[in-house]
Amino acid sequence: MSFTRKPGGKALDILQNLPRISLANLRPEPGTKKAEKKRGRGQHGGNRSGRGHKGERQRGNRPRLGFEGGQTPFYLAIPKYGYNEGHSRRAQYQPLTLNRLQYLIDLGRVDPTQPIDLTQLVNGRGVTIQPQKRDYGVQLVGEGAGIFAAKVNIEVQMASEEAIAAIERNGGMVTTGFYDPRSLAVLCKPVPFFISGQPIPKRMLPGEDMVPYYTDAANRGYLADPEKIQKARIALAQKYGYILPDISKDELFHMLSMIKDPRQIFFGLSPGWVVNMAEKKILKPTDDKLLQYYSS
Amino acid sequence: MATSMLCRRTAIFSWAIRRVSPLKSYNPASSHCGLLHQIANYNPKPLKLNLKDPYIPDRESEKTPEWQKTAKYDRKLFGRYGSSSGIDPAKLWPSHAQLEEMIAEEREWNPPLQVMLKNVEVKMKEANAKRLAREKLVAANMAKMPKMVADWRKEKREAKQKLKDEKARRERLLAEARERFGYAMDPRSPKFLEMVSEIEKEEKKKRKLMKRRLKEEQSHVPPAASSADSSS
Repeated sequence: MSFTRKPGGKALDILQNLPRISLANLRPEPGTKKAEKKRGRGQHGGNRSGRGHKGERQRGNRPRLGFEGGQTPFYLAIPKYGYNEGHSRRAQYQPLTLNRLQYLIDLGRVDPTQPIDLTQLVNGRGVTIQPQKRDYGVQLVGEGAGIFAAKVNIEVQMASEEAIAAIERNGGMVTTGFYDPRSLAVLCKPVPFFISGQPIPKRMLPGEDMVPYYTDAANRGYLADPEKIQKARIALAQKYGYILPDISKDELFHMLSMIKDPRQIFFGLSPGWVVNMAEKKILKPTDDKLLQYYSS
Repeated sequence: MATSMLCRRTAIFSWAIRRVSPLKSYNPASSHCGLLHQIANYNPKPLKLNLKDPYIPDRESEKTPEWQKTAKYDRKLFGRYGSSSGIDPAKLWPSHAQLEEMIAEEREWNPPLQVMLKNVEVKMKEANAKRLAREKLVAANMAKMPKMVADWRKEKREAKQKLKDEKARRERLLAEARERFGYAMDPRSPKFLEMVSEIEKEEKKKRKLMKRRLKEEQSHVPPAASSADSSS
């Protein structure tokens, strides 16, 4: 009897006997919150309250930012050049570093035993995508390739060569897939889409300018030849100097080899299906024409 | 993946250790190198579908606004309340007419992959051909360059030489004039010009004589050579 001890001991006793935690019982650790400094109040900040002596400064009538007293300001003197031309029409890809991906996996926000998709990243609040702001998805960036050590099946919209090498070195799979803006919105926020009651749309193919990117095996494009991808994997391993692990012998091979159909947005759901959240049901069309359209 | 999304409302509240989790359908027999892998299963924000007190507008009444009788609103009703909203699920999908429109639009704006690949190929070929042509032109011109450089240099040299010759000639003439007339005269005066023309005439005569002599020599030499050959 004297040998059995409750795990936790006195701490647990205290916890069990103290009242409920509420805002009234909490206070920050001393030293964490530094008092904000309020300028211009009191003895030596008084009088003019930190505004200076007369003039526009004290009276709050300073001219606009960039004004140089009448001299042609810098932002007008420098001639324009087309750096920002058409900037609002350019596709943007939110970067995802391997550092961040490893962080998310370590904290358990993203599940490496399931295929990692943009939906999973958004659910784990790993990236923030704004489909309405010309975001076309996520790009995998090679920063942190040295410390990355997770076997994942990840699907992104763009990936740098270093990042692909780092993931494949650890026995994972990378795929780059294109999502047109509507599909991207559906992918990022699936639940509001299901609540709207629309059938899942089919993913459109990339535009002519991106077709070469997604049909290239070096980028692990989803439209590329699987054999060429295998060759590219071997070539990349030789280039970066690592032995390509054989994922066919892996226990998670089935999960790692899961790839979406070019017209599919979600794993396990086909275009044309309606997912009902209220009754947890999936409705599938039976009309021939609809089926033909959604499976084309 | 779909199952994990649909099970949003019934997710586990606390951190679940992989092996013990009852929700996951398959049990990984061995974890990664013996490491425990924890996945955070958050309690998601509740879906406020308001199933107990749904507002389903009266389709026959005139008081309901028009926008609540549209197909889009019906779909939203179905999405929120399910079959209890009283909407025929077949209305969720586009009608045949709408489907035709959609197909036509897609055919126009989204060509199939083969067509796009062909276009891409054509464009690349064009660009390559252009680049090749330009490079050929550049190479051809570069090949011409040494000759052009030499020509230019020769021209410059000749021009310089010409100037020098001109100067020398003028100085000689001046010296001649000086000798003949005994004083430094202006090269623009008529006397000087007369003298110059005289000198030129003399030089012409000399040249003619030289030419005649050369011709005679040439005409003499071949018969002599031929006779020498024939004789030897």
